[in-house]
Formats: sequence, C-alpha cells, structure tokens
Amino acid sequence: MNKHLAISSLLTLFLVNHASAVEVPEAAQSCVVCHGAQGQGTSQGPKLAGLTSLYMNAQIEHFISGERKNVVMTLMAESLVDLNVRQQALAYYAEQGTAPELQKRGDTLVQSGAEKLYYQGDPHRSLPACYSCHGPSAVGGGPFPRLAGQQSSYLKDQLVAWQKKQRSGDPDNTMGHIASKLKDSEIQALADYLSAIQ
Amino acid sequence: MPINKAWLFLLLAASGFARAEVPMADMQDEIPAQPKAANLDYFKPRELSEIPKGAFGDKIRKGYQLFVNSQQLSGQYVGNQLNCTNCHLDAGSKAYAAPMWAAYLAYPEFRKKNNRISNFAERVQGCFNFSMNGKAPAIDSPELVAISAYSYWLLMGGLLDAFGMQDQPVPEMSDKALQEGGNVASFKLPGPLTDKVKLDARGHMPGRAFAALDKPAQAPSPARGAKVYEQHCALCHGSEGQGRVMADVPVIPALWGAQSYNWGAGMHRVNTAATFIFENMPLGKAVQLTPQQAWDVAAYMNSRERPQDPRFTKDVATTAKTFHADDNGYYGKELDGSVLGSQAFPATRVK
Ligand code: HEC
Ligand code: HEC
Ligand code: HEC
Ligand code: HEC
Repeated sequence: MNKHLAISSLLTLFLVNHASAVEVPEAAQSCVVCHGAQGQGTSQGPKLAGLTSLYMNAQIEHFISGERKNVVMTLMAESLVDLNVRQQALAYYAEQGTAPELQKRGDTLVQSGAEKLYYQGDPHRSLPACYSCHGPSAVGGGPFPRLAGQQSSYLKDQLVAWQKKQRSGDPDNTMGHIASKLKDSEIQALADYLSAIQ
Repeated sequence: MPINKAWLFLLLAASGFARAEVPMADMQDEIPAQPKAANLDYFKPRELSEIPKGAFGDKIRKGYQLFVNSQQLSGQYVGNQLNCTNCHLDAGSKAYAAPMWAAYLAYPEFRKKNNRISNFAERVQGCFNFSMNGKAPAIDSPELVAISAYSYWLLMGGLLDAFGMQDQPVPEMSDKALQEGGNVASFKLPGPLTDKVKLDARGHMPGRAFAALDKPAQAPSPARGAKVYEQHCALCHGSEGQGRVMADVPVIPALWGAQSYNWGAGMHRVNTAATFIFENMPLGKAVQLTPQQAWDVAAYMNSRERPQDPRFTKDVATTAKTFHADDNGYYGKELDGSVLGSQAFPATRVK
C-alpha cells in the first residue's frame, strides 16, 4: 500500500468512527442516557444494540399495555406515540453493535452447565435448547432477541420476572413456560454465560 | 430402579404391539404410530461427555455433529435448510419424535418405499433423499458410519445404564456391523435382555416413531389450519413457512417451500405431521393444541408446494398414482384450483 493511500484510509477510518459517535439520530437521543449512544447499555438500562426492530417494537407495546412493568421505561414507551419517530430510534439501535463469533450447535461437545442448557436443553424436563430459538451464539433474529453480550443482571431479572408472572406478552407464553422450568442457579449461570458472549 | 426398568422394557417388548394395517398399495414406508407407554422416562441415553476417547468415540462424536448441524453437508448431500434434529428432536433422543435409539434396534427392516429389507444406514439414506431433499452419502461413507455409530451409542449406553452397568463402556463394533442395526441375531442386548428380546419385538421399543393420535372429529381442513398456523406457528416458522436464518445459519426450520422436505418425505403425510405437531409443537409446548387443531394445521402446512418427489416419473398424475395412491397426503390432489405437485420446487439442489 502506498503511503498516500495509507494516510487517506486512516483519515477515513477516523472520520467515520468520529461521525458515528456523535450521529445519534434525533429520534433516539432521548434514549442515550439510559441505553448509551451505541445502544451498548448503561447502569440505567439494558443493551439495545443488535436487537431487531420487530422485537423492540413488540416490547415498547408491552410496556404500554402493562405486560412488562418498569416505571421509567413505560413512561418512555408512552412518549413514543409517533410511530415514525419510534421506528427511526429502533432502526438505529438495531444496526449497532458487532456480531459475536458464531458457535453453532455441535461445534464443541464438552460444555459448562449453562452452555449445555443453551446448546442441548434438558430433554428430561422437556426443556428445548435455547439455541433452537435464539440461534448460534445467541445472536437472535426476528421475534427472538439477541442475548449475547446483554447485561447479566438484566437477563436474570427478565427470567425471574417471567417466573413471577411480572413479564408477559411473549407469544403463547413461550418464554414464560421455559423460564418456569429453570432453577435459580441455572438462571444465574445462564445470565453470566450469555452476557460473556462477545 | 434398574429392575423395574428391565421389567417394563421386557414386558413392553414381549407383549409386542399389534401392528397397524398398512395398505399394500402404499409405497411409502409408514412406521405405524405407537400407543404411548405410561413411563416416558424409562430410557435415558448417556451424556455426550461420556462418549469414549479414541477412534470409535470419534465416529460417535462426528455422528452427533452431523445430526445437529447437517448443514455442514449442504450442497454436498443436503439440499435444503434442515438439520436431522429439527424433526428427530433433542438430537435424536426424544421419545416419540422418531428417536435414533429405538430406530437403531428396529433395523434391518422391510421397507415398503423400495420393497426390500433395508438396514439402518440405508434408512438414514432415505431421510437424506427425502427429508433433507438431498443426495444420500454412500452406505460405507464416513458420514453414514458416523450417524450409525451415534445412533448405536444412544441405544447401547442407555440400555447399559438402565440395567445398572453405568461403568461399562459401550462395546465397539465394526463399520459393517454399525450399518446393519440391532435387529440381527448377532446383535447382543445387555443384561437381562440378552437372548430375551425376539427379533420381531425389536421394532417395537416403546418410544419409537410417533405416538398414536386420535382421529379428528371433522375431516382435516387446510382453511381452518391456516388460522391455527397464523395464531400459533407463523411467528416462529414465518408467514410463508420459510423458517428463519440467523447470521446466515438456518435456525428455525422451513415447513414448506424450496428449503423444506420434499414431496416424498414421511413428514409430507398429514397423519405423520399431525402427530408430530400434536406432541411437539409449538416448540417448548407452552400451549397444547387440540387433536383437531393439529390435524388442521398439518393439512394446511402439507398442502403448500415443496420440492418435487425425487421419484417423479412422467407427470404428477402418474407419480401420484405410483407413489401416493393411498397415502394421507396432498400430492396430486387439487386444492383451490391447482394440483399440488404441479408447481413443485426442484427435487434437489444437490448434484
Ligand atoms: C430513564 C432510563 C431509560 C430511558 C431514557 C429509556 N429507557 Fe428503554 N429501558 C430502560 C430500562 C430500565 C429497561 C429495562 C426494563 C425492564 O427491566 O423490564 C428498558 C428497556 C427497553 C427495551 C426492552 C429491551 C429488551 O431487551 O427487551 C427497549 C426496546 C427500550 N428500552 C427502548 C428504549 C427507547 C427506544 C428509548 C428512547 C426512546 C428508551 N428505551 C429510553 C430505561 C430507559
Ligand atoms: C421456543 C423458542 C424459545 C426458546 C427455546 C427459548 N426462548 Fe428465550 N425468548 C423467546 C422469545 C419468543 C422471546 C421474546 C419474548 C417477547 O417477545 O417478550 C424470548 C426472550 C428471552 C429473554 C428476554 C431477553 C430480553 O432482551 O428481554 C431471555 C433472557 C431469554 N429469552 C432467555 C432464554 C433462555 C436462557 C433459553 C433457554 C433456557 C431460552 N430463552 C429459550 C423464545 C425462546
Ligand atoms: C422433515 C423432518 C425430518 C428430517 C429433517 C429428518 N427426518 Fe428422519 N424421519 C422423519 C420421519 C417423519 C420419519 C418416519 C418416517 C415414516 O413414518 O415414514 C423418519 C424416520 C427416520 C429413521 C427411521 C426411524 C425408525 O424408527 O424407523 C431414521 C433412522 C432417520 N429418520 C434418520 C434421519 C437422519 C439421520 C436425518 C438427517 C440426515 C433425518 N432423519 C432427517 C422425518 C425427518
Ligand atoms: C416458538 C417457536 C415455534 C413455534 C411457535 C412453532 N414451532 Fe415448529 N419448530 C420450531 C423449532 C425451533 C423447530 C426445530 C426443533 C429443533 O431443532 O430442536 C420446529 C420444528 C417443526 C417441525 C419439524 C421440522 C420441519 O421442517 O418439518 C414441524 C413440522 C413444525 N415445527 C411445525 C410447527 C407447527 C405446525 C406449529 C404451530 C402449531 C409450530 N411448529 C410452532 C419452533 C417453533
């Protein structure tokens, strides 16, 4: 590579990175304080980067209908009445983040407790592998949220909320039913395992 | 309690189930659905971590990997976006989702699909050609040896454990013996089963194939099924039955269309699909469909176009007459003004 080219590509890289750091669309700016400029999550709110618009939109509706309960997020959701603005904000966050390194089912066989539940489930409890719906390395897609790299405490809270019937709205109570079969120790292990997937 | 388990198995194996009548003209090898055994939990395969080290263990591991990620053979032997485990659930270990352990013991068996005795590996070839819409690997290929080894290991490990022989390794077998299956006199069952289970009982291990499902009160209706589909299936399998790919990896299987099983596959029969769906869907089973809903949605799903029957000869009518005369499927039948099979997708994308 000649020197000139090297400098110009460095420059482009810098400009692009710099630009994306500040270019949060207006629609999403009110979310930044809790979800971060790149949707990376903060101590005030979970990671949104890489969740699909379809999934996030369903959740906004759930906060509005009361199927999900969280005081601040419900207020935010209720403010997103303009569907155009809502879509812009969600589309922005859906595009953020980077794909994790993909581990497919069967790639490795000796697995930790949580990894085993994720990739194999537990046939004796009729617990399907999380993989069947959340995909390789928990990337998610469509109605299935990405779990990879999500905050551990948030993941745990969600599974517990389903167990306590404080979260609903998932189609046919699919996730609620699955969460009800998990032991506390498994929830903790799964949350830690999933949050560590980069 | 190993003794109770032995009893249960012997009892069920010895009593033998009355084989349902299969019409002779039906060229598909439908395995009669089984009355459900009371104790579903009597058989547990070993943990994957217990697969032995060494060359024999490597074959078993490879078999498992091909079973759960059959897409690694895409374009070579596999012509759609399915994996074996999509239908043979829990990596082929789930009772009444045609588990590999019960299947392994049943072969060699008479196959109506090609009117001859086929051994286990040949039966697996059938699923490559039809369910996977592909082209089966050769009988002595590493792939078929591996899948046979894995299936054998599921069976033998589970039996040894059931009879208190947890510390015993699964005996090694030659590639040739692995391809055959467990329904030959030379195949020794462990513990109290040795020399006790007659050959014609070996096809009736409780949990094999699918559980019998009550006949519907009303004839299955694709129109009613469309509503069930919309309400309970579309979110996962897609409004066009196309399944879902995540990060370029097929995850949720396609139910019809170019990426699904072809018109010759066992799942294309409405009765087979209805019992599979009733027992296993929606995945995770937070809701239980009624038998009527299961029949209706099976009729809907199996009256959409899918890849052509690879046995296609001359035209749809001839193919339907030769291979689908008495099967419980829509191939060659007219629905909403079009004959199913006439707009089929290419039989296989594999050369
Ligand atoms: C004051 C903090 C705060 C602000 C501002 C905020 N959120 Fe949230 N958001 C949260 C919290 C906290 C949760 C988790 C709620 C729970 O535990 O159920 C959440 C959850 C969500 C979820 C569900 C995530 C998932 O994985 O299910 C979505 C989608 C979301 N927020 C979108 C937005 C959007 C879009 C905005 C901006 C318009 C926004 N939020 C602004 C705090 C906030
Ligand atoms: C049968 C399909 C299916 C399986 C299997 C499954 N999930 Fe889910 N999961 C879903 C769906 C659908 C949602 C979204 C629910 C909604 O829309 O509210 C979800 C949501 C979640 C969420 C909430 C994420 C968020 O951002 O709020 C967590 C956590 C989760 N699943 C964990 C798991 C774990 C752990 C397993 C395995 C033990 C698992 N899931 C297995 C379908 C599934
Ligand atoms: C689309 C669903 C589907 C897929 C995918 C599939 N199968 Fe099957 N398989 C079936 C059905 C249905 C039957 C029962 C056939 C019948 O009743 O005609 C069956 C039967 C079998 C049997 C015989 C079972 C018995 O008890 O006799 C074996 C062995 C088998 N499949 C292996 C495989 C392997 C290996 C793969 C992957 C290469 C695979 N199958 C992929 C649906 C599927
Ligand atoms: C929560 C998501 C979900 C729902 C809802 C769901 N399925 Fe499935 N289905 C799956 C997954 C995932 C598999 C593959 C299982 C595996 O790989 O472990 C599957 C497998 C299947 C198969 C066998 C594979 C194939 O391609 O033939 C059929 C048939 C099927 N589903 C039909 C249905 C029908 C009919 C409904 C509605 C009554 C339904 N499913 C609802 C997720 C779902």
